[in-house]
Amino acid sequence: MIKPRSIPSTPILASALAALLAAFCAIFPAAAQTAREAQEQAAFRAAVERVAPSVVQIETIGGLERMGKVLFGTGPTTGLIVEADGHIVSSAFGFANQPTSILVRLPEGTRRPATLVATDHNRKLVLLKIEVDKPLPVPAFAPLDQMRVGQWAIAVGRAFDHQRPNMAVGILSAFSRIWGKAIQTDAAVSPNNYGGPLVDICGRVLGVLVPMSPESDEELSGVEWYDSGIGFAIDGQHIRKILPRWKQGDLRPGLVGLGFTSKSLQTGEPVVGGCRPNSPAAKAGLQKGDRIVEVEGRRIERAAEVKEEISRRYAGDTVALVVLRGDKRLGATMELAAELQPLRHAFLGVLPMRQPEARPGVRVRYVYPDSPAAKAGIQPGDRLRAFQKQPITDRQQLRSLVGGLQPGETAELQFEHNGRIRTRKVTLAALPEGLPPADLPAAYDASRDGAPAVKSGAVPLKVPEWPNEAMAYVPKHNPAVGCGVVVWLQPPGPFDWDALLARWQPLCDAAGLILVAPKPADPNRWSPQEAVFVRKLLDLVDATYSVDSARVVVHGHEGGGTLASLVALKNPDAVAALAAVEAPLLGRPPENESDRRLAIYLAWAEKSPRASGLKTWVDRLRKMAIPATTKRLGPEPRALDDAELAELVRWIDMLDRI
Amino acid sequence: MKHASIVSRMLVLPLVLWAGVALGNDAPRANAAGETIRRVQPKMVKVYGAGGFRGMEPYQSGLLISPEGHVLTTFSYVLDTDYITATLDDGRRLEAKLLGADPRLEIAVLKLDAEKLPAFDLGEAVEVEPGARVLAFSNLFGVAVGKEPLSVQHGIVSMTTDLAARRGVFETPYDGPVYVLDAMTNNPGAAGGALVTRDGRLVGLLGKELRNTRNHTWLNYAVPIAALRQSVEAIRAGRMVAQRDDAQKKPDRPLQLAIVGLVLVPDVLELTPPYVDLVYSGSPADRAGIRPDDLILLVGDRLVQSCKALREELEYIDFEDPIRLTLLRDQEMIEVELQARLD
Repeated sequence: MIKPRSIPSTPILASALAALLAAFCAIFPAAAQTAREAQEQAAFRAAVERVAPSVVQIETIGGLERMGKVLFGTGPTTGLIVEADGHIVSSAFGFANQPTSILVRLPEGTRRPATLVATDHNRKLVLLKIEVDKPLPVPAFAPLDQMRVGQWAIAVGRAFDHQRPNMAVGILSAFSRIWGKAIQTDAAVSPNNYGGPLVDICGRVLGVLVPMSPESDEELSGVEWYDSGIGFAIDGQHIRKILPRWKQGDLRPGLVGLGFTSKSLQTGEPVVGGCRPNSPAAKAGLQKGDRIVEVEGRRIERAAEVKEEISRRYAGDTVALVVLRGDKRLGATMELAAELQPLRHAFLGVLPMRQPEARPGVRVRYVYPDSPAAKAGIQPGDRLRAFQKQPITDRQQLRSLVGGLQPGETAELQFEHNGRIRTRKVTLAALPEGLPPADLPAAYDASRDGAPAVKSGAVPLKVPEWPNEAMAYVPKHNPAVGCGVVVWLQPPGPFDWDALLARWQPLCDAAGLILVAPKPADPNRWSPQEAVFVRKLLDLVDATYSVDSARVVVHGHEGGGTLASLVALKNPDAVAALAAVEAPLLGRPPENESDRRLAIYLAWAEKSPRASGLKTWVDRLRKMAIPATTKRLGPEPRALDDAELAELVRWIDMLDRI
Repeated sequence: MKHASIVSRMLVLPLVLWAGVALGNDAPRANAAGETIRRVQPKMVKVYGAGGFRGMEPYQSGLLISPEGHVLTTFSYVLDTDYITATLDDGRRLEAKLLGADPRLEIAVLKLDAEKLPAFDLGEAVEVEPGARVLAFSNLFGVAVGKEPLSVQHGIVSMTTDLAARRGVFETPYDGPVYVLDAMTNNPGAAGGALVTRDGRLVGLLGKELRNTRNHTWLNYAVPIAALRQSVEAIRAGRMVAQRDDAQKKPDRPLQLAIVGLVLVPDVLELTPPYVDLVYSGSPADRAGIRPDDLILLVGDRLVQSCKALREELEYIDFEDPIRLTLLRDQEMIEVELQARLD
C-alpha cells in the first residue's frame, strides 16, 4: 500500500557530494558523525518551528474528576489547526471528563472559547471550532506515499507552555496499527502531546497523537502506555479526507453483527459463524458457513482482515463483500450500523426433567404460567417431540433450537400429551425475570435411576500458583445428569466453612448443586486479580466433575458480590448467572450471544447506599436484553435469610429453562 | 496509575539504555557518542547512603566537579546518614563527607578524600536549546555496581520550562528553570546524574522523580548548571545558601468573593465550574458588569478550572489589590477589572 519514496535529485551534483562526503568520512569518521548529528539537531528544530504556528494549547473548565479508577488530568492539552476558519483537531483523551467549557490558546497568547463540533469515536479524536478574525495557519501534511517506516518522526505538544512547543524525537515504527486505524512511533507520546501532531523531518504532519490500545476500544485505554516507546497517531491524510463529513456530526465505529467460526481472528479463517438477527450482516443475507473472500476489492484470507476492513470504516459506510457459499460466488453489501439491536433470547416456557431416559424427546418438569407453552396446552409430564419439524433429542438440543429464533417469532411444536401427539403453533416469548414459585417439582428422581451415584462430600480445592485456599461440597449425583455449580464469594470477615456447609448442604443435595467456596488471600477484602483465580477454580471443577453449564452461578455478598460481578461479566463462556447481594457491580456486561444466556439476580435494601447505582445497572442490563431479577431486602442492608436463600436456590434451579 | 506507569517505564528501560560497556574497546572508532561516553564516565560516581525499603532506594548518582573529590549530587533522604559512600568509575569505594546542601535547589556537595580525579568544570557548562541531542548518565535502578560504568540514555531536550510558573503542578521546592527531556531519565537512583551534549559538555543535573499533578505523568528533567553554580560555590566556600523566594507568598488578608459582591454556584462537584450565581447590586462586581451565569475563566492570567481553584487563586491576592477577571458569556469572552471597596 505504501510505496517506497522516490527521491528526485540532480544526479551529478548528488554523486559528487556523496563522493566528497565518503572521502571525508573515511579520513575523519567521528568528526563526520558529529557534523551529521548537528545537522539532524538543526533539522528537528526547523521541523518543529515549521508546524508550531498550527499547534495550539487547549484548556478546559469543569468536568468530572475521575472515571472509574482513572483520575482525569486537568492540565492543558494540545490541538492541531486543520482549517484556516478555526477548525482544530485534538485527542478525545482531553475531553473524556466532559468539561463545561473549552478554551483554545493560540501561540501568540489569545484565548478563544471553543465549541466541540463532533467526536470521532472510532479514532478517539475531537473536532473543535473557534471564531477567528483572520485565517489560521494550516500545516502541511505529508503525502502517504512518502511515508516510510524508519524515518524520523517528531511528536509535538503544547502542554507545558502556550508560547513554546515541547518535542520528542523518534522514528515512524509501523503503519496500519489498531485494526488499520493508526500509525505507530517510538517517540515519547503522553498527555504532554496527545492531540498534537507527529511530524516528519520537514515539519509536515504525519498524524495526530492519541492514546490507543489494540486490546480495548474503551475511551481511556492506551494511556497506560504513555512514554513507553509505543505511541500512536491517526494518519493526517485520513483526517483531512474525513473532515467534511465529520463536521456534520459524530463519527462512530461501524458494527455488522457478524461472528466467525474460529475463536482466533488472527489465525482463523473468514468463515461466518453466525449473524445477529436484524444486524447489517443478517440484512445482507450472510449465512453461517459462508466464506468471505473479498471486502471492497481486497482479497481476504484471515478473519482479522475482515475485522480490519470494517474497523477502519464508520457507521453509515457501506461495505461490498464477496462470499463463497458452497461453490457459488455471491456479492453482498452491508451498511455498517452504529448500534446493534441486542440479541434477545427466545423462551418457550418450560423446565425440562433432567432424568436420563431412553425415550426420545424432552419430558416437561414445569410449565410457566401464561407462557407460550402454557397457551399451547402443555402440561407437566408431557413430552416435547419436535420443534420446527426437527425431532427433539435432549434438553441442550431443544434449548439451542429455540435459541435460533427470536421472541415474537412463531414456531411449530409437536408434543405428546397422555399418549397422544399434538401439534401447535407457539409464539415465542422473552426470557422471564420473575422470582421462582414457592414450590417446584423435582427435576430428577434418584429412586427411578439405576445408575451408580458419585461419592459426595466436602473436598479441598487447590489451583496451582495461587495462594488462595478453597473448599467444595459435592452432592451425591449421577454423572449422566450433571450438577449445577454455585461459587460463594464471602463478604469481608472470617471464613467459616462449617457454618457455610451447614447452611448449604441440604440445598445442594436437593437441587444437585456443587458449592465452591474460595477463601480471599486477605480476609478483609477481595482483590480484582482474584477474579482470575475464581475462573481457574471453575475450570478445575468443570474438569473434575460432571457440570451442567446452564446452572453455573457466581454468588457473593458485599465485596464478594462485586468480585462475583467481575467474574461473571468477564467469563460469559463459563458462567450462566450472577447473584449479587448488597454489592456494587464492576465490569462491562457482555453482549448476548445465541449460546450464552447470562442471567442476573440482584438483591438490595431500600436504604442501601448502592440502591441508585444498582437501579442504573438494572436499566443497563435490560437495555442489553440481559434478564435481571431484582429482590428487595426491606429497609436495612443485610445478608439473605434462610427463606431468601432457598428462593435463590430455586432461581438457580430454573436456569435451565427453555 | 502510579503502578501502571512505573511498570511501563520499567518495560521500556532495556530498549533505551545503552550499557556503557557495550561501547568499550570493541566500539567502532567512528562512534562520536561512544567517545563522549568514554570521556564522561570517569567523572561520574555512584552514591550510596540511607534508604533501602520499597520506593526509597539507598543509592543515587553524582558527578565530580573538582580533581580534589568534590561531588555534586541531589539533596535527598539518601544523604540523611552519617555514612555516605561514593564509588568511582575505577571501582574505588570512598567515604563521602556531606559538605553542605541547598534545600531550595535540592542539591548537595560531597567531599571525597582523593586527588587528581577527572572532573567536570562547572564554569565550562553550556546552555542548550530545545531539540538539542543529549546524553544522560545515571545509576538508575542501581543497575551499575563496583567499577561498572553508569547507564547512558540518549534523547533530546523536549523544551525548557520554569517549574515556578506552574504553581501546584509539581510538588518540589525547586521552582527554577528545567530542561524537559524526551527520554525516561528520572527513575529511582537517577537523581544526581549528569546531562551532557553529544560531545560531552555538561548541561545539567538530573533531578528527582517528579510527578505532574495536573496530567499524572512523570516528568523527566534536568536542572541547568547555570541555575546551580552560585549555590555550589557558596557551599564549597562554607557559606550555606538560604535564599527564600517570597514572590508567591500569600497575603495576610486575602481577597474573598464576598468582598466584591459575588456568589458562585454551590460547589457540589469535584470540579464545579466557577459560574456566578448571584451579584449583589451596587457591589464592585455589579459595577464592573458581572452578571449571574457568567463563567469565570481567568483571574489575571491564571486559568481557574473550578470553584475550588478560584478560591485558592484568590488566596494569593491581597484584598486591597485590583483584580482582572475574564468571563465567558454566551461563548464570548469579556474582561473586567474590579477592586474591593476600601471603606
